[in-house]
This record gives sequence, C-alpha cells and structure tokens, in this order.
Amino acid sequence: MATDGSVSPTVSGKYYRHKDIVWLTAWIAGMLLLWIWDALFLNKPALVRLQTALVNSAFTGIMVVVLSLLLGWVAGVVLHLLGRSQWKKTFALATLSVNALRSIPQIIVVLIGYAVLTALLHEEIIRSMFVQLLWIAGVIALAVVLEVVDTVNERIEYFRTLDFVDAMLCCGISESRIINVEILWKNSRSHLLHKMIAIFGISIFLQSSIDFIISVGLSTDVSLSNLPLTLGSLLATLDSKQDILAISNILSNPGYLPRLFITHLQGLSVAFCIVFTLLCMFNIANGFQRRLRLT
Amino acid sequence: MSGSQRDLQLKLKSHAAGILLMGAIFIVVVIAIEQRRDEAEDADPRIQAYIDARDIDFANPVDRMLFRETLDLFYPGQTKKNDTLLRSIDDFRQRGFRGPASRTANLPRGLTWTVTGKLMGMYVQFLVVYGVVLCILYFASQRIAIYRFVKMKQGRESYLAESVASLRKFFENVSTQTLKKELPTLASSFGRAILKGAILLICFSPAYVIAYSLKTTLDTSSLVFMIILGVVSNGVLMHTSNRFFTLLLTESRKGYVQTAIVKGLFSSYAWDTSNGIPKRSMWRTRGLLSSHVFQHILSNARFQFIPTLKEHASFLITGLVIIEMALNIQGHLCYELLQQILFRQSDVAGAIVFGIFLVVKGTEIGVDVWYDRERRKYGY
Repeated sequence: MATDGSVSPTVSGKYYRHKDIVWLTAWIAGMLLLWIWDALFLNKPALVRLQTALVNSAFTGIMVVVLSLLLGWVAGVVLHLLGRSQWKKTFALATLSVNALRSIPQIIVVLIGYAVLTALLHEEIIRSMFVQLLWIAGVIALAVVLEVVDTVNERIEYFRTLDFVDAMLCCGISESRIINVEILWKNSRSHLLHKMIAIFGISIFLQSSIDFIISVGLSTDVSLSNLPLTLGSLLATLDSKQDILAISNILSNPGYLPRLFITHLQGLSVAFCIVFTLLCMFNIANGFQRRLRLT
Repeated sequence: MSGSQRDLQLKLKSHAAGILLMGAIFIVVVIAIEQRRDEAEDADPRIQAYIDARDIDFANPVDRMLFRETLDLFYPGQTKKNDTLLRSIDDFRQRGFRGPASRTANLPRGLTWTVTGKLMGMYVQFLVVYGVVLCILYFASQRIAIYRFVKMKQGRESYLAESVASLRKFFENVSTQTLKKELPTLASSFGRAILKGAILLICFSPAYVIAYSLKTTLDTSSLVFMIILGVVSNGVLMHTSNRFFTLLLTESRKGYVQTAIVKGLFSSYAWDTSNGIPKRSMWRTRGLLSSHVFQHILSNARFQFIPTLKEHASFLITGLVIIEMALNIQGHLCYELLQQILFRQSDVAGAIVFGIFLVVKGTEIGVDVWYDRERRKYGY
C-alpha cells in the first residue's frame, strides 16, 4: 500500500500513470468507432450534417483555445506589469474590472455575445459562416480567458518568489524576456497546455449549451438556420430531440435498447459526441495534471 | 488589527467596489436604453403630422400613390427627399408590427414595479435552488473524493482491471471449476465497471441531454428534478470532487504525514479495522478519525477547499442557467432572461443579469468571510 500518495504498482496504478494518454486514445477510438457505425447505419444527409457539425464545433473549440491563450497571455502579463508599475490606480481599476467579469457566469457572457451576433446577422453586417464561427469563438474565449490570466499570473508570481528572476535581472536580461520566454514559454508550457485542454472541453460545453438554448428562441428573425451548424444546434433539431426523447422508452421497454442504436442514431450520435468529448477532455486534463504533478 | 482581518477588509472593499461598478454600468445601460426606446417609439416630428392625418391610409396603395404625388406637387424637384420621407413613414409603421412592442403584446414593458415584483419572486426561487444545490454539492463532492482517495490508498484495482484479471485467470486454466469460481467475480466487476461508466457519462452529460431523455417519463419542470439535475449534470459534481481529491492527494504527499505516522498515528486505510478507516466516516468524519493521520489530511484539504468554492459557485450558476433556459421552464428567472432578450427588453434582461451577478458576489463574500474565520481558527 502506498503511503506517500503515489499509487501502488497495480494494473490500475499503471493506468493512472498514463491516464491522459489512455483517455486520448479512448477518445480517438470512440469517435472513430462512432463514425464507422454511423457510416454503416446513419442515412447520408444526416451523416454529412453530423460531420459538418463536428468539424465546426472542433474548429470553434480550437479557435477558442488559440484566442484565449493569446488574450490571456497578454492580459496576464500586462496585469502583472501594471501591478509592479507606478500606475497603481490603473492597476486597481483593471483588477476591479477583471474581478467583476469573473463574477458574471460564463454562460451569460456567451449569451450576450450571441444576442449581439443575432443582431448583426439581422442587420446583415455579418454574413460569412467563417466570421460567424470566429465571432462565436471570440465570445467564448472572452468568457473563459480569466482562467488563462490566472494561470499566467500564478506562474509569474511563483517564479517571483524564487531567486530565479533576480538572478536573471542581474545577468542583464530584460524583464519582459524573463516573463515571456523564461517563465511562461520555457517553464510553464505544461501548465498552459493543461489549461488549454480544459478550455477546449469548456468551449465545447458552452457552445453546445448556448446553441441548444437558442433553439428555445433567442430571436424570431434569426433562427438556427442562419447560424453555422454545430453539435449543439444539431442536437436542437426536432429529429435529434425526438431521438433523445426515445431514450426514456428503454425504461419502460428494455427490449427497445438495440433499436435505439439503429433507428435513433442522429440524436444519439450528437449527444454521444458531446458527452464523450467532455468526459475524455476532463480525464485527459486530469491525467496530464497528475502525470506532470501540476498542482 | 491582525493581518488576516486586514486581508478580509481589503477583499470586502474590493467586492463592494465591484458591485458598485456593475451597479453603475447597469444604471447607465438602463437610462441609455430607456432614452433609445422613447426615441424609437416616438415618431420623427417631421413624419408625425402625416401619420396623424386622418384622411390618409398608408396601408392603401392608392392613398400612398396620391400622397407621393402630392409631395412632388408641394415640393417639386426634391424627389429624393420625398422618397426618404415615405420610406421613414413605412419604417415607422413596420416597427409597429415587427418591433419588440408588438411581440410583447399585452405584457408590461420596461422595468416597472409590477415586473420588478414578479422578478423578485423568481429570484428568491432561484436563490433557494442555488443554495440547496451548493450545499448538496459541497457535501457530496467531499464524500466522493474521500471514497476515491481511500480506495486508491487501499491499492485496489479498478473494476475493469478486476474483470480483466478474472478473465485472464479463467483462460489460464479453462475448466468448469474455474468458471464457477471466476464467473461471479467477473460478472460483478464487469457489471460494476459498466455501471461506473454509465454514471460517469450521466455526470458529464449537459443537463438538457438528461432532461430530454427523461422528459416522457418524469416531470422535468419540478424543483426537485431541477435540484437533482443541478448536482448531477454538466460535470459540476465531478469537477468539484476532483478538486477535493487533488487537495487530499497533495496534502498526503506533505512531510507532516510521514512525521505523524512515525509519531504513531494510524495510517492503515483498510475499512473497519481497529487502525483503519471506519466506513461510517464516509458520511460523518467528526470524532471517527481522531487517531488517524487521515483526519489531518482531511482537515487541511477541507480548509484549502473553501476558497475554491467561489469558482465552483460560478460554474454551478452557469449550469442552473442552462437548465432553466434549455428546459423551457416558464416562471423561472433564467427562462425570463431569455424571453426578455428575445423581446429586446434590455433593461429587464440587465436587471436579471445584475441579480445573478449579485448571487455570485454574495457567494464570494460568504466564502471569504468563512475562509477568514477558519484561518483564524487554525492560526494561519
């Protein structure tokens, strides 16, 4: 039995040591299996819709990761430098604004962003699908950026407590190089990568949820058909909703279970994509954190 | 004044400033929207006279044509200006049919006392649900983390690994006797692995997926269902319990644990043995682990867990907002928020957002005060 917190050398122990890799493999394998199953049993138009939705959602998720990393890095460094500068009032105001934004639930920020997007679509200011996806990614990035800002600040503050920074300053290296290159790039990549994995999961969750919510009716002028197809919006279609509703049939009639995977495939596939991705991202981030002991 | 009290005061001041800042933004937005709405609802003075004219029916094409020709007669050579005037009249009339006022029909418009009273009722209901879910989450996440931690310390295999081992044993010695011996173990561990997988999938399902899959068999609009969904769905429970588990793990690696074991504190994690962990401690830890090193690990992890409740609270509210909006439950605060955004009643929507902001801020203040009290108790 392990007493130092490390796991014992059992099969599970070996699994825990490479949990992130195991779950990454499981995610890829799960999605591949789903695609093969859908290619065999799902009708062609629905399969095309599912593929488009998956690609759009993944693209948005990746864009959220990139945008939040850029925005969070810059904001974190600027906040840190402001805190050490003479501009105390500016720093106080910036911290106040950041804390106020932190207290607004992420979904509300995204909802407001979508409300603006529907207004822009209605006014025909935004037309291109690519720009719409970028807008969505930007809004979600704004909602989750504080997670990156916190990580950046934590890392800088941690290195500030060591002799590391002072020694480098004595060597004549500029403060901005120490922060951006030595601390964040060379010594915090794994922390940031861990945050990015978590953010990818959050972005899929927020995007799917908001697209589903819009199906309740954010605008009568701009319906889901005007917005890019994503996993959330595909789940919100009548077909998918009926497929999900059919799940409760197995509670009263367990024999219905096999039919579920053949006749209600669109809704089930979309729901599986969302839920399985969330589960895998959580475990990948978790395993990565534990493997590299990023506490 | 001690350092911790000064810290708390600073935090409280920061919270108060944040509330004031958001309050000021909210008031400015409401005033700006009210002004815009008044301007939008009042016709341009240049067209008001024509709109009020009794003899012209702008819905009638003949009247419209006559009006256009009359304009050309009175203002010759100003074709563009006359066209613009007619377009402005059309726009104003269209706003009457398509604007937010037409959609809200007989509903009271703007942030009136009636609307505020109605919102307050919904707000109280939201607060109750939120409070109950937060308490359950705080309790349940710790229990799950403790169970995971003890199980890990016991060095037990996962259910899937157990079933693989049992299958391997059977194939190493294929006989009816081995089958009889291994089949119950295999069935039990494989069944548990499937159940665990299903529970994990449910815990990571967004609320609307669970709710829609049960909609035909359960009343998904009841408060009890909302509370259960708030705890179980959206991955909230798993994230929170994982955070506590990580804190337990980090604490268990610290030097004082080894010192305590050397000093003679119990360190076995076997269930219900004299020097182990009583199973009852899964539900109530007070007084049950006094001579065990785990008591110290648990106390320190619990102390560090308090400030993390702030971020969990914000994520929990996100989950509750999604539940109320996606399930289309009328009479709930967040469904109302969605409706108000739909009807472009930005002042009412802003008031709801500000209300939700206050819930998060209230939680943050409560957590800061609690953390400060605990800090003083432990002498940090």
